Amino acid sequence: MADTLSWKDKLADRIPQHLSEEIEIFETQIELKRQGKIADPVFAETRLRRGVYGQRYDNGKRFDGSRTQPLQYPDADLLKGPDTLWNAPGMQRIKIPFGGLTTEQLEVMADLAEEYSDAIAHITTRQDVQLHYVHIDDTVDLMRRLAAVGITTREACGNSVRNVTACPLAGVCRTESFDITPYSRALAEFLLGHPDAQDFGRKFKIAFSGCEHEACGLANMHDIGAVAVTRVVDGKTERGFKFYVGGGLGAVPHQAKVMEEFLPEEELLPVSQAMGRVFARLGEKKNRARARLKFLIAKVGIDEFRKLVWEERKQLPEDPRWTAYLNDLNVTDETALKQAVKLNGVARPEGFDEWMDTNVYPQRQEGYAVATVTLPLGDITSDQIRGLVSLARKYVNDTVRSTVEQNLVLRWVPEADLPELYAGLEEIGLSESGAGTIVDVVACPGTDTCKLGIASSRGLAGELRTRLAEKGMQLDASVRNLRIKISGCFNSCGQHHVADLGFYGVSRRVENYTVPHFQVVLGGQWTENGGSFGLAMGAVPSKRIPDVVTRITESYIKGREGTESFQDYVRRIGKKQVKDMLEDLTAVPAHSEDPSYYTDWGDSREYTTGDMAKGECAGEVVPMVQFALTGSERMVFEAQVYLDDEEYEQAEDTAWKSMLQAARGLVRTQWLDVPDEPEHILKEFDERFVQTELFHDTFAKDKFAKYIFQAHEERSNTVDRDLAHRRVEEAQLFIEGAFACYGRMGVVA
Amino acid sequence: MDVHKIDVHKIGIKYFLSSGADVDADTWFRIFNTWIPVTTDEILIDVADYSHVHNGPVTLLVGHNSNYGIDRGEGRLGLLTTRKQPLEGGFEDRFRTCLGGALKACARLENEADLKDRAHFDCSMLQVVLNDRLNAPNTAETLKAVKPGVESALQQIYTGADLSIEHRDTSGSLFALDITVSGDWNIDKLMKNMPISA
Repeated sequence: MADTLSWKDKLADRIPQHLSEEIEIFETQIELKRQGKIADPVFAETRLRRGVYGQRYDNGKRFDGSRTQPLQYPDADLLKGPDTLWNAPGMQRIKIPFGGLTTEQLEVMADLAEEYSDAIAHITTRQDVQLHYVHIDDTVDLMRRLAAVGITTREACGNSVRNVTACPLAGVCRTESFDITPYSRALAEFLLGHPDAQDFGRKFKIAFSGCEHEACGLANMHDIGAVAVTRVVDGKTERGFKFYVGGGLGAVPHQAKVMEEFLPEEELLPVSQAMGRVFARLGEKKNRARARLKFLIAKVGIDEFRKLVWEERKQLPEDPRWTAYLNDLNVTDETALKQAVKLNGVARPEGFDEWMDTNVYPQRQEGYAVATVTLPLGDITSDQIRGLVSLARKYVNDTVRSTVEQNLVLRWVPEADLPELYAGLEEIGLSESGAGTIVDVVACPGTDTCKLGIASSRGLAGELRTRLAEKGMQLDASVRNLRIKISGCFNSCGQHHVADLGFYGVSRRVENYTVPHFQVVLGGQWTENGGSFGLAMGAVPSKRIPDVVTRITESYIKGREGTESFQDYVRRIGKKQVKDMLEDLTAVPAHSEDPSYYTDWGDSREYTTGDMAKGECAGEVVPMVQFALTGSERMVFEAQVYLDDEEYEQAEDTAWKSMLQAARGLVRTQWLDVPDEPEHILKEFDERFVQTELFHDTFAKDKFAKYIFQAHEERSNTVDRDLAHRRVEEAQLFIEGAFACYGRMGVVA
Repeated sequence: MDVHKIDVHKIGIKYFLSSGADVDADTWFRIFNTWIPVTTDEILIDVADYSHVHNGPVTLLVGHNSNYGIDRGEGRLGLLTTRKQPLEGGFEDRFRTCLGGALKACARLENEADLKDRAHFDCSMLQVVLNDRLNAPNTAETLKAVKPGVESALQQIYTGADLSIEHRDTSGSLFALDITVSGDWNIDKLMKNMPISA
């Protein structure tokens, strides 16, 4: 028999207790799913809230270009995501608050990509890391290894507060009001698992920016966009945020509205919490297409929304965490590893000047620079990560940040070290220039792995990158700094609305074939925090999009007036002229004439949308009380295991706690702030559910309710097998009663 | 670590291509996709294109039990077969099963109509990677535990050949062995020497 080692044992001393417990709960839920003891929507939302995401391919079928072939799995139960196999390999999203990573965390990321994924880590447009093709059985160890270096995947997906993003230049930026890093970290930590952020109808996105006029945090397109501002009161400078709310891209993009011109720093956390409560209470839950915050604000109006939030804010019980972090704002400060030395006179390797021109940003701190590491399509191999870690340790002080343009940045590089750094990057294939230019095309996963993808955003991005990189510095200066962003569908994960040239996947029927197309969206604004959205110009076959880029950019070079911006140019010539310009490119030849139109970029098979499925990003709407009740069920299951293992005290205690959790879940449907103490929960439960007979069973009356009160009275009793056994049985019945009560309340989804 | 008690399943075997550098990523992609619906003895799921990354996977065929990747790790093109799911038996049995799977995939590629005479494997060298830092850390102890099994399984199919096994002692990397074999070998010959059960 071989030795059985486990990451759980190996990392026991390194994983914070709360993270360890969360992961163990998830491990139990996987087991319950395997045993068919957890409702499918609950499990789906549970795994999504841990960042465990279904991939497109695994919906039980695969189209190979000529026919659709069912895939045979050991477990034929069709549920990983909706309509997919739950135990097929999927995507693991890993939240990286403000994009900040240490070299140790990066090394772990490299190891995880290699051992559980495909040796590729993917940086997303919201500064997350994604690993693909991860088996669900591996996710638990993967989470443990992340937890050991301080990373949680909790709420990386599902109807929750997603990764809190922030400007990657924060702290070194030349135009920022102040460093927003500690604020973004504090808000991310505060809302993670917060009870007031668990009952949303859809996801909730937050971004921070240090200044108004750059792209940075893209505050205009988030549910909360916090832009650093200061004011002087009585000669003293105060910090605060211009507080944008209700922005969002997606199929129906909304510009955020200013809720507060100056939200004092001490109000950032409580007002965000109050917003969570308002959104949970009033946000749409049934119609998923209108469940984002932007629709609620559009419905009630910004003034009424502001009023609701402040009313809620006043009712919040005081929480010391709201301001505690303000006493230590330097906690996220980064310092230089080496002394600042100017670049003057240092020998420059070939290609360096071009790279320097596009990938290097001089910091506010004299003699230091930020170097952007351009990642093609946001992908980096495990070996490259390790190479980058070595460079980071050599030139900067241990930290790296991810960007919403799917790149990584090294900050605090002494300018004189830039040529050496460039040479080091070249050795690991990461010295590509063109960061933030037209070559640096951003794309969501699209049809490669996303169930909602309609056309191959990554395939098109790869093609455009290749073609544009060939032209490189020969491109006219006026177009070099334009941005191209591509989404596989209208949901805009590639942020096409805020690009100069944006594209999103659509399809068109031609004769009996489906042909991949991209809708052309022109004139979006990247600067000013994603200041304005582009205009849709019409759909063009996927294979003609490179021609669209050429034609539009050449037209701009020739037709611009003076220093006219691309946005102004598009607006001036108007939609009709652009449409006319692209008209001939919209034609699709017959299949017999040119079959290449009927395949997509990066996929030589004939195009189909037959493998699309319901998207994972929307998650499942599961009311908070249902999570509580499901959690109590899990605890009874654990209590039963303790009983089987003859650990009677643990069994009794766990069974008691399971009842308490169920009771608390019910009470919270009426009073969100019920305290955690058992006495409070029991008192409220008694008044609200027992005395009102809400909990009464038609036949058993208050029999099941009595179990929890009796268990409380017997807490000091010596626990033997009989008592433990009885408690587990009673807990089971009490929880059944709680589910029945919840059903009678008429709120079961 | 007891040499008889190493518990590793995730075994990767890479055979290098002696020809095939000119085969484009689209071709690998298309070929792997054709394998998915017609393969009946294992579950193959998806194909991923990573031809845009430097010295990494080029085209990856993802399966439930194993992945098959045209891989350019360290700049050397080859087919990397990586086992993901548990296997029966001791290390040598597991290694032999993985070796059989790798050779079968190599043979299948060499026989692809689209690749006929364009892609051949150099059977005189291979790389063995243990993709499990927990159970197979990159240490001398792991080497001691797995080397006899690797030698025994290889000697069975490389009958009478001299084996040179070098351990890559690179900090942070997965446990890996670079193996060179004397003599003239090809995939067909090795497949014939493979025990039926593997």
